[in-house]
Amino acid sequence: MLSTTLAGLRAHLPRLVAATLAVVIATAFVAATLVLNETARATLLRAAGAQYVGADAVVTARDGGSLAGDVATLTALPGVAAVDPTATADVQAALPGRSAAYLQVGSVAADPELRWQRVTAGALPDRPGELALGLPTDAEVGDVVAVSVLDPATGDVTATAEATVTGLVDLAGDPAAGVYAHGYAVPAQVSAWGATDPTELRVAAAPGTDPAGLVATVAAALDGRDVTVSTGEEAAASAVAYVTGNRLALTAVLLVFATVAVLVAGLVIANTLAVLVAQRTRDLALLRCVGATSRQVRRSVLAEAAVTGLVASTVGVGAGIGLAAVVSALVGTDSPIPLEGVTVPLYAVAAGLAVGTLTTLVAALGPARAATRVAPLAALRPADPAPLRSRGGLLRFATGLVLVLGGSALMALGVVMAQIYPALAGGAASFLGVVLLAQRAVPPVVAAAGRALGRAGGLPGRLAAGNASRNPRRTAATATALLIGVTLTTAMVVGAASTRATAQAGLDSAYPADVEIGAYGELPSSLLPQLEEVDGVAGGTALAGADLTGPDGQPTWVQGVDPADAGAVLRSTADLPLPALGEVVLPPWAAEVWSVRDGDEVTLTAGANSRTLTATVGGDASTPLLYAADLRGLVPDAPAATLWLRLADGDGQRDAIAEVTELTGAAAPDAYVTGLASERAAIDQVLDAMLLVVTGLLGVAVLIALIGVGNTLALSVVERRQENGLLRALGLTRGQMRGLLAWEALLVAGVAAVLGVLVGGAYGLIGTASLLGGQDVVVVDVPWVQVGGIVVVATVAGLLASVLPARRAARTAPVAAIAAV
Amino acid sequence: MSVPVMTVPGEPPAPVSSAAVRATGLTKVYGSGETAVHALAGVDVTFERGGFTAIMGPSGSGKSTLMHCLAGLDAATSGQVWLGGTELTRLRDDQLTRLRRERIGFVFQAFNLLPVLDARENIVLPMQLAGRRPDPAWFDAVVARLGLRERLRHRPSELSGGQQQRVAIARALLPRPDVVFADEPTGNLDSRAGAEVLDLLRSSVRETGQTVVMVTHDPTAASYADRVVLLADGRPAGEIDRPTAASVLEALRGLGG
Ligand SMILES: Nc1ncnc2c1ncn2[C@@H]1O[C@H](COP(=O)(O)OP(=O)(O)OP(=O)(O)O)[C@@H](O)[C@H]1O
Ligand SMILES: [Mg+2]
Repeated sequence: MLSTTLAGLRAHLPRLVAATLAVVIATAFVAATLVLNETARATLLRAAGAQYVGADAVVTARDGGSLAGDVATLTALPGVAAVDPTATADVQAALPGRSAAYLQVGSVAADPELRWQRVTAGALPDRPGELALGLPTDAEVGDVVAVSVLDPATGDVTATAEATVTGLVDLAGDPAAGVYAHGYAVPAQVSAWGATDPTELRVAAAPGTDPAGLVATVAAALDGRDVTVSTGEEAAASAVAYVTGNRLALTAVLLVFATVAVLVAGLVIANTLAVLVAQRTRDLALLRCVGATSRQVRRSVLAEAAVTGLVASTVGVGAGIGLAAVVSALVGTDSPIPLEGVTVPLYAVAAGLAVGTLTTLVAALGPARAATRVAPLAALRPADPAPLRSRGGLLRFATGLVLVLGGSALMALGVVMAQIYPALAGGAASFLGVVLLAQRAVPPVVAAAGRALGRAGGLPGRLAAGNASRNPRRTAATATALLIGVTLTTAMVVGAASTRATAQAGLDSAYPADVEIGAYGELPSSLLPQLEEVDGVAGGTALAGADLTGPDGQPTWVQGVDPADAGAVLRSTADLPLPALGEVVLPPWAAEVWSVRDGDEVTLTAGANSRTLTATVGGDASTPLLYAADLRGLVPDAPAATLWLRLADGDGQRDAIAEVTELTGAAAPDAYVTGLASERAAIDQVLDAMLLVVTGLLGVAVLIALIGVGNTLALSVVERRQENGLLRALGLTRGQMRGLLAWEALLVAGVAAVLGVLVGGAYGLIGTASLLGGQDVVVVDVPWVQVGGIVVVATVAGLLASVLPARRAARTAPVAAIAAV
Repeated sequence: MSVPVMTVPGEPPAPVSSAAVRATGLTKVYGSGETAVHALAGVDVTFERGGFTAIMGPSGSGKSTLMHCLAGLDAATSGQVWLGGTELTRLRDDQLTRLRRERIGFVFQAFNLLPVLDARENIVLPMQLAGRRPDPAWFDAVVARLGLRERLRHRPSELSGGQQQRVAIARALLPRPDVVFADEPTGNLDSRAGAEVLDLLRSSVRETGQTVVMVTHDPTAASYADRVVLLADGRPAGEIDRPTAASVLEALRGLGG
């Protein structure tokens, strides 16, 4: 049977290549994620844990007590080559290019084995009076640095000295390196500069000594002391443990996307194998006729899948490692997650191979079962691939329904409680349900869309619609693969847009004016027109200010605003209601001081003038707000006290603010300028970057799905060779044949895109509602342009995926219809 | 036995007005070098308008190949094919495709119909591809003659083999083509259904002057034709006018078939 399998593989190789592409991409994704994770870990270990990585054992005093007395004990132990007491001294140094002159000086081990510093220039010091400096620094080898020794208790300078710089040490990748300057000197120098007693010893093993054994020996020698003995690796790992929290979260997120990619690849390959088996029904039946058992047939199909999966995942792992190397080179060490080179752990290779091979094998189970159901007689009958409705299908349907309903309930709960976790769980469950239900739901939608298409697309359209709904299962699986990617992308886009809108609305109501200019005195009346001239300033309004006497008899600072002008300037009046004529808007504190309730009459006086106004209590304004004319009635010459400006949307807000600040400073030196425009831009930037990354990651899934669309089409072209030949014989031109395939791709991809956008949009909105439900207002924002873009891109890409199969179909010779099968 | 004819350079011979299809010096070679197969080794043949001709010969004698070249389904290696006044061997793929759907009807042995279309849609398919509207009276007449009125809404999978062949014949006759080519149209049918199909082909020749060219193995089927053209080793090997099953069988024995 093995020879038949291999012969089958050879014969179907071209078709399998396309199918395996899906597995290759998914595996590459998994492998790259794991390799990058390990690379980040190794980079950190090398940097932040550098001094431990090279040591064979590390002794740490748990109570911080001195270990100076143990150096001789340990050195005498068998298997110990050298012991280095780690000493540090804190001094002040006049370093060029560094204003903070604080310098932490560590000791350089006497034993070369235990020297961990990576020297980029010069050498490590080997006598007192010499110093190596950690990068970055503007100092150069040969410079002389003035050092002040500090009293550890008081911080007073107790002595001064000079040291010559002998070398520079690269600390890149150590997140702690940037906090203060690091220097390295011989132990005698470090203790001369006031080193504390060592609380840590690094031990090097003699050649041929097992590190684990060494740890045990050292631990036994120090039995009864309050110390921790660990291997160098362990010590390094715990030294960097505190920086790795974020990185682990990132890996988890990446792995979620990798899972999505693997899932989609599984669907695509299951589909492809199913078609391959269907095409080989006759071969398989013939095998059964000549005596192959159904088990042999199944094994042959599974063996084919295993070989395919193994080859594809090997290629995928290689590609993933290459990808990780590229990412690592691009990111470099100068980033929040430093990367240097690539570290390829065995488990990443194993996991990649396992995921790729197992996905292919699992995907092959269904087709293999179908293959065993081929009756020997099928070899003698013309093939009629009737769609089958199995018990498995019913079970899938029921499970899908339960998951969708249960998940929806959880999501509703999440929205009501404004909790993201139940919503997330519900989303995951219901999405799984959607994928299961798609098998049932997609075919009728495709059929309906096909009927509409039949009217619009003429004969090729009608034929395409018929073809697309001919094998509902396959169409459903093809569409589902694309549906997953589109759904998740849309959910992200809609979620991000709504999050952004909600955050902006929150900012808008908290800070309704883009820029507020206030003064302790008065603002020159020429300032507003001047500011309105500035590039990027869309408009402005001035508020006059005056002291009025309120019901409590005390002078109170109030401002007058023209609601018509201000309405155009402010981004929101939700938390800043503006007064109408005859009204005064009181912030709650003023209403309390004046003992006024909403709707009460309030009399305000200024000198001989007085006015009675209706109070509206509410808002976040810092002072009571009057209608501008009312204030002028009381204080005719009230000067401008506050300016509100609105900036034009888009780039250049920072520049505008800078210019406004400069002009204001020149006109009124004691004025202050506050603005949230820059914060708004910052939020936009973060969300945009996040969206870009996430969309890029999901793009992998969409790409795999599109390969699936092209694959399915290519295989149906082979399957329908005879039919296509007949059509050509009966007068279908090559162009019409290409159109036929294009319509079919359009139909499947279009339906998947539209369904995906609908489901994904719902997810995005639910996610936003549950994530931000705690806020006052949740603003729903569906970015129609982007969502439309997703539909267009997915559909057009599906269309592109049909180009190669279509070309092949168009080449079908008319005689193919009559030629022997 | 005719000698292979090389095409004469210069003016091609003018088409004879009464011929529906005519081939001169037709050759078809598959492969090249030592493994080359001369499926057609120089065929001159004429099919008169309104005639029902059967092509017969031993297996592998080139019957199907001849039909494919005559019908513009396959390109000949050399020689000329005329359909009325049009030289097929000069046309490009698109022109040939258009010519096929407008002027030629086909009935194949099997896989005649598109499974996604019902009988009616299959029948009008070539006319639709050409963007033409079938004449309703003629459509009704054809459908009635072939006894398909009750079956128009059925998919091919819901039709018997004989019914499927009748749908294929209706499709071939509907555009009133210059010629209908049939390759073993009764090969998959039992003798009664086969006789029905052959009757229909013959009556379309008798009643409406349709030209029909049919490839067959079956001497009984050949006896429905007006004339039998015999092929052997890719060359014409004689003709029989007003054939009977017995005379055809006799002639085939002579060819060693
Ligand atoms: N595509 C091809 N490639 C190579 N040789 C071919 C091809 N098609 C046909 N032949 C050869 O050409 C010769 C004529 O074939 P053809 O199919 O025309 O025979 P036929 O008379 O129709 O036979 P049958 O009665 O068995 O259908 C045969 O020797 C055949 O092997
Ligand atoms: Mg033949």
